[in-house]
Amino acid sequence: MNRKKQFTEGLITNNPVLVQQIGMCATMAITTTLFNGVGMGLSVLIILTCCNVVISAIRKIIPGEIRLAIFVVVIAGFVTIVDLLLQAFVPALSEALGVFIPLIVVNCIIIGRAEAFCQKSPVKDSFFDGIFQGLGYTCVLIVMCVVREFLGAGRFGGGLIDVTNGFRFTLDGTGAGIQIFPESYGMSIMSLPFGGFLTLGFLIAAMQYALKKAEDKKAKRAEEEKKEAEESC
Amino acid sequence: MNETKEKLLFDVTYQPQVRTVRDTQRIMLDVIVATLPIVGFGVYRFGWHVLLLVVSSMAAAVFFEWGYRRLLKKSLTIDDLSAAVTGLLLVMVLPPQTPVWMAVIGDFFAIVIVKQLYGGIGKNFLNPALAGRAFLTASYSGVLTVVVIDGVTTATPLGFLKAGEAMPFTLAQSFFGAIPGSIGEISSFAILAGAAYLIARKVIRWRIPLAVIGTVFCVSLIFGHSGYSHLDWALQNVCAGGVMFTGIFMATDYATSPVTINGQVLYGIGIGLLTMLIRYFGGYAEGCSYAILIMNLCTWSIDKLCHRRQFGVSRAEFAAQKKAKKEAVS
Amino acid sequence: MNKILKLSLVLFLISAIVAGVLGVINNITAPVIDAQRQAKTAAAFASVLKADRFEELEFNNPDFPTVQTVHKAEGVGYVVTSVFSGAQGNITLAVGVDNDYKCTGISVIEHSETSGLGANAASTGEVGVNFRAQFVGQDEGIALANAGGSIDALTGATITSRAITEAVATSIRAVKSLA
Repeated sequence: MNRKKQFTEGLITNNPVLVQQIGMCATMAITTTLFNGVGMGLSVLIILTCCNVVISAIRKIIPGEIRLAIFVVVIAGFVTIVDLLLQAFVPALSEALGVFIPLIVVNCIIIGRAEAFCQKSPVKDSFFDGIFQGLGYTCVLIVMCVVREFLGAGRFGGGLIDVTNGFRFTLDGTGAGIQIFPESYGMSIMSLPFGGFLTLGFLIAAMQYALKKAEDKKAKRAEEEKKEAEESC
Repeated sequence: MNETKEKLLFDVTYQPQVRTVRDTQRIMLDVIVATLPIVGFGVYRFGWHVLLLVVSSMAAAVFFEWGYRRLLKKSLTIDDLSAAVTGLLLVMVLPPQTPVWMAVIGDFFAIVIVKQLYGGIGKNFLNPALAGRAFLTASYSGVLTVVVIDGVTTATPLGFLKAGEAMPFTLAQSFFGAIPGSIGEISSFAILAGAAYLIARKVIRWRIPLAVIGTVFCVSLIFGHSGYSHLDWALQNVCAGGVMFTGIFMATDYATSPVTINGQVLYGIGIGLLTMLIRYFGGYAEGCSYAILIMNLCTWSIDKLCHRRQFGVSRAEFAAQKKAKKEAVS
Repeated sequence: MNKILKLSLVLFLISAIVAGVLGVINNITAPVIDAQRQAKTAAAFASVLKADRFEELEFNNPDFPTVQTVHKAEGVGYVVTSVFSGAQGNITLAVGVDNDYKCTGISVIEHSETSGLGANAASTGEVGVNFRAQFVGQDEGIALANAGGSIDALTGATITSRAITEAVATSIRAVKSLA
């Protein structure tokens, strides 16, 4: 399978959140600071890639009748591993994401990819599918975080960037971020779930608009080519 | 065809309908005229900042409507004045110390997100001005949940009622507007003057306002509150808060209220009940704006519930039709 | 019959492998997590009450089911840890109480509140610091602003705020019951 095609599918044309519209609960809930978004996105990316590889590897011995049960066991296993590792080594992230890390078990992106892709594709393809789909998810989270954090608190990169003593990345979630305008001017409703719905709605609309425009363009070009071919005949 | 329909957007009830010369622009102009005494009183009470707020909010609302429709290459609808009215009404339900930039953000939310994204005038399902207010109060609760007059933070009458403290305002003060509160809600007298004009010009009907205010009055009269006489409590509940203004100017918004007569009464009663529910048990002292937003969402169902019999269809036939519809669904 | 047996066997095997892997990971991470928790508790104690030494007291008063431990700092006051339910799950809270039965500070040790809302109670950001600072100097009559007290609830997190406020009052009462 074509890697480039997989890449565009994961990030754009078949983006898990904006096009397949799965895994939206966590997307709306945790995207309040860049730190949360990047952390959640990378966690999902890692879990998704691992699950994809394992499920694809054992796809021939999974009986069809109980495949969902097995998917869930595998996913739950990886989620618990990531959860424990985060608790041990990145406690700030584990605290900020709270219940949403364990909830990745029921995040439909992972079971959706297992069902739709991995159970009929070889390990290598599944591995890249996990990475690209995970990247697509992470990108959406980052965009949502940036928009909501900016509008809601006038900040960029909360938790991840610290500028008090020169620019540096803080991987323990303590950075205050870059204050662009005073927090008291921020529309704090954007950091509440309502803001999540609003931002996600706008993102999906923008995505659909862009996709439709690209499709129209493609159709137009195909038509023109067809016409040219006819004329040259 | 499309153009005329936009202009004569007047399908507010079932057939038979009467064709009149009234259009959206005239109606909206009437609403602006009706709010003049209220704006005037607000300026008198809170100073020139109110006038600045009103003018800039109206200008911003019109600008956002124009900008959105221009950007999306849709027909321009600013000359029907509905956007200006939204900007005006939004300021009326905000406290006097609101900064201008905040009102402008509220206008953006009200016009672009609540109204235009759902298709523009007549197609929004929430009252734009109230939704704008809800957006602002949730965002800037520190600034907007208090009332500041001449730099002094004062508790609103409903705040006193909520805390169960003795009310320092007499009924006459509440009625004529010598109380702190949102710009438009303080003077019941000015509001009633505006309402009389609107009803005389047949811009609004009396059913919804009466149902809202009547329900608030009855509920508070029946349940009362310790420390107040029942009648006092009931009258203060009607005059001192936002019920009068929102019941008359907001609840009667054509697009977001039911078109059937029974439906309008039901809608008004619902608003009154929810308002009192919030005042008695909620976290906020005042609840009529949220009550109206909630009932806005029920409008479609209420209209469906109160579907009228067509002319020339007997009761038996109507019942049979209803039954058939029900069976078809199940 | 044969088929059911096969299905169960496959599921059992996969579950067993996953469980085994989890066991190994847990073995590796458990001590790290434990050490972190202890360090956190110590830091929380230090942040709620200025004292060098804390001495654990025997406390099992059935009137205070939420109170977990009471530590005494000689001459300074007490630190009470309690576990109670917030909006999403249990919250572990350390409350410092001085000898006049006034709160000297609170610190959220563990919680699973909603990120961006209730989780702000524990955040190191401005919102969280301001929220927790309100509790300093309060006595057992503490209450949220909408219940007649002086504590402003966190935006969108009234339940979390109320639970914490009540826990602070309970902790102060628990210390009082010792005297």
